[in-house]
Amino acid sequence: MHSLRYLIGSLTLVAAVLGAIWIVRVLDAADDQTGLPLQVEFRDARGLRAGADVRFRGVTVGTVRRVVVSADGDKAVAHLTLEATGAGHACVDSVFWIVTPRVHGLAGVSGLDTLVRDAYIAFHTPGGGSLLPADSLLAGSERPPAIAEPDALDDVAHGDLLMTLLVPENHGLRPGATVVFRGVPTGDVRSVTLAADGTHVEVQLRIARRFRQTVTDRTQFWVARPYVSGALFSGFTVTDVNALLSPYVSYYTEPGQGVMVQDGFRTAAQAVRPSLEVADVPAAALRQPEPSAAPDGDDLALVRITYAAVERDTFSADDPIHHEGTGVLWLDRAGRAVVVTARSLVDGGYTERDAFGGDADLGDEQIHVLLASGTVLRAGRVWVDGEGRDLAALMLEQPPPDLRGTPLARLRFEAPPAEPAAVRCVGADGAALAATAIAGSEQAGGAALFGDAVFGIVGRREPLRGDPAVVPLALLPDDLRPL
Amino acid sequence: MAAALEFRGFGLAHRRPDGEQVLLAGVDLQLAAGFYLLVGRSGGGKSSLLRVLAGLVEAREVAPRLDGDLLVGGVSLLRPAGELPEVAAILQDEGLLDELPPRANVELALRAAGRSRRLAPALLAQAGLELAPERTAQLSGGMRKRLAVARALASAPRLLLCDEPTAGLDADAARTIAQLLRTAHDQDAGRTTLVITHDLAAFDGIVDGVLVIDAVQRTLRLEPPGFRPSAELVAPSRAPTPTAEPAALHGLRRLALQAAAVLETVVESLRRLPPVELGQVARTTLRYATEPALFVALAGAVIGGLATFFALRNNPVHGGFESALLTGTGKVATAVLVPLFSGFFFTARIAAGAAARLGTMQRTNQIAALQMMGVRPADYLLTPMVWGMVLAMPLVTLAGVVAAALAAAFAATTVASTTLVGWATAWFATVDARDVLIVLGKATLSGYLVALCCYHLGTGPKRSGAEVGEAVNQAIVVGMALVLLVHALVTFVVYA
Repeated sequence: MHSLRYLIGSLTLVAAVLGAIWIVRVLDAADDQTGLPLQVEFRDARGLRAGADVRFRGVTVGTVRRVVVSADGDKAVAHLTLEATGAGHACVDSVFWIVTPRVHGLAGVSGLDTLVRDAYIAFHTPGGGSLLPADSLLAGSERPPAIAEPDALDDVAHGDLLMTLLVPENHGLRPGATVVFRGVPTGDVRSVTLAADGTHVEVQLRIARRFRQTVTDRTQFWVARPYVSGALFSGFTVTDVNALLSPYVSYYTEPGQGVMVQDGFRTAAQAVRPSLEVADVPAAALRQPEPSAAPDGDDLALVRITYAAVERDTFSADDPIHHEGTGVLWLDRAGRAVVVTARSLVDGGYTERDAFGGDADLGDEQIHVLLASGTVLRAGRVWVDGEGRDLAALMLEQPPPDLRGTPLARLRFEAPPAEPAAVRCVGADGAALAATAIAGSEQAGGAALFGDAVFGIVGRREPLRGDPAVVPLALLPDDLRPL
Repeated sequence: MAAALEFRGFGLAHRRPDGEQVLLAGVDLQLAAGFYLLVGRSGGGKSSLLRVLAGLVEAREVAPRLDGDLLVGGVSLLRPAGELPEVAAILQDEGLLDELPPRANVELALRAAGRSRRLAPALLAQAGLELAPERTAQLSGGMRKRLAVARALASAPRLLLCDEPTAGLDADAARTIAQLLRTAHDQDAGRTTLVITHDLAAFDGIVDGVLVIDAVQRTLRLEPPGFRPSAELVAPSRAPTPTAEPAALHGLRRLALQAAAVLETVVESLRRLPPVELGQVARTTLRYATEPALFVALAGAVIGGLATFFALRNNPVHGGFESALLTGTGKVATAVLVPLFSGFFFTARIAAGAAARLGTMQRTNQIAALQMMGVRPADYLLTPMVWGMVLAMPLVTLAGVVAAALAAAFAATTVASTTLVGWATAWFATVDARDVLIVLGKATLSGYLVALCCYHLGTGPKRSGAEVGEAVNQAIVVGMALVLLVHALVTFVVYA
């Protein structure tokens, strides 16, 4: 009985000793064994405590082991241990900062979670770099870096427009600021950087795919901030008051002006908000919505085409020409991406005459094609009907490798029947519309279907008159037809 | 040649609050070396006389008043000059050390008398204990008496005193003991043996004379061997003789004796701190460290685990400030609460046992036997207890603190999904080496004080089992109060 009691007691003491050793090992492990020890210097520890989290992209990947004052008393040094998951993301150019509640002037507040939680250390790694060795001593950032909320930005989706806006001054734009068209958010600011030569600020914008047709080469951009206009006797108007708290980028595109732009488009912002006469809602928009849209899985490849050019007049101002319409896309027997459409849509020389009835002097011709995937590609005219009928073929520059065209089975290169059944067009956003009867010039380039097959393109009966007519695909030369 | 035992004008009186009770007065008697019985009525002063002869005077009670002188072999016992003659006594209850085997009891006496341990088997054989059981507690009544005789002979005494050696034995066993005593007596020609007994028949034919305490005359008388007292009567109780000493003085003297006893315990604990009985120190430390370990560890685990659980679960800012909560809980549990409760549980578990053991030893004359053997009770009992508690209390406290930490780790990782490293960093964030030293210091100091308390209360005079129980109770209450006091004072002074 006695020996049993001694045995139990001895085992308890041995267990306590083992437990103490284990605790010491856990504490040591915090130093060096399972994690990456780092030291980060701050001017102010901002209430950071031992045991606080170290977070990367909001995930706890380490612990603050202790916070001490440096030997010379100038800095507070936080000793951290990053677990294996975090150590792989801590690079030489990582930025460490202490997350506490902060007010960034009028631009908002951050770190509100630490009002009711401990302050913690966050770090951000801008790009790949060499990993930090153990026991590195880093200079911490006293405030969150400019890209403080990279995680708040949505990922770029396929088809989104990525472009660069050049602004003379930033006006407090931050990553994540919205981009607004007619008051509707259409995208966001990805980054704000000073140009290498310091002459301007480059703002990377993303415009969501479904809004990318709202940006053309004529679009006017500006950084929205409160702007007072007017005069003493006429009264003042304050615009963009909602930019008081967070500036944003706004733009306006005159309807029917310019061509859609490709990724990488660069344009300069207006220094101040332009004075705009916003057009009324167009009559076409007042039509009641069509009950049915195009069926899904339709392999008929229709694209949106924009055409812009300038007709140079000798005696008057140059006239801009702008057309928009539909085209039918397929891959020809050589594998090239061919878009067949009405010549009146993509050839200013076909529709315009100068003041004396002669050929127009055209310049700055631009043809852009918006694919259903959202990509905008430049295109060139490769063929027009030699007999002056309203049919033209375009060829896409740099088509994507996975481009899918209309299969041969849907095309008929023969004379069309007398009565066309329906016309299929695409809307301004590149999405296919429901089939309609032949109606007017807004259907230019639309596919004329008889049954399931495309026999022709909606064009004009005469180059200078707007009467719609079906121009048969049979006019196309053999080498532009699909295999 | 000096008489073996001489009474010169000897008087013996108990001092009571209401006066003195005189038992013997003006005894003048000379005895040659021999085997004598001491008889007299109950309460007549036989045992008191024997304790005076054995030098067993209770330091914490008012001592009896002694007049005249007592000489053994011409050397005064009351006014010693030079080396005292060897006196051994076999007391009632024998005073055998139950925690030692029979042989070790004899060896201890041999060592205390400065004689070789190898004499032990011969002494045991002489007492008829060649085949004694391993444990003293298993000995029968007769065997206990014989072992007591063997142990008493270990010091080769000039004067051997026996208090009722045949009590509780049947006639045959009593006779055997009487024969054994006579045989032992005859080994040394200069030895005088004095046996208190009511059982004259057992000693028939083997005694040299009978000393009778005359309760009426208050004197000692030597009668021839065949003497039989007329009747077995209780000594007539007489009113105490009033003295000039007021009762208040008696109380004051008792108080002074109590204070002196406390002081003596403290001084003894320091003076006898270097351990003499190393085996006893090791045994005691092992016992004190192992017996409460599981108890304290469980208590620590409950405190640490529950404190962490409730701190995190009842956090008003749900999920917020967890590391701050853990840091606060860890500091107070590690530095203050768990050490305090470990001290409490250690005291509750150990002080009661220690005080009970000492009280029983005192009650059954084991401590008197130690004194008689020339073993200092402080060396044999106090020093091991002090070392045991001073070493075991910090050890057990650390076990409690570790258990609390482990339970807290479990609670924190379960309730708050903290990582182990995060928990450890927060829990020990403000615990440093200084805190550990203070915890150890508190445990050491309270261990020392609890040891003093147990020893002092345990070795106080015990006349009954109830007094032993009372001492155990006091040891727990006073011990816990001392632990609380030490922790409160040290914590206040260091952290406030």
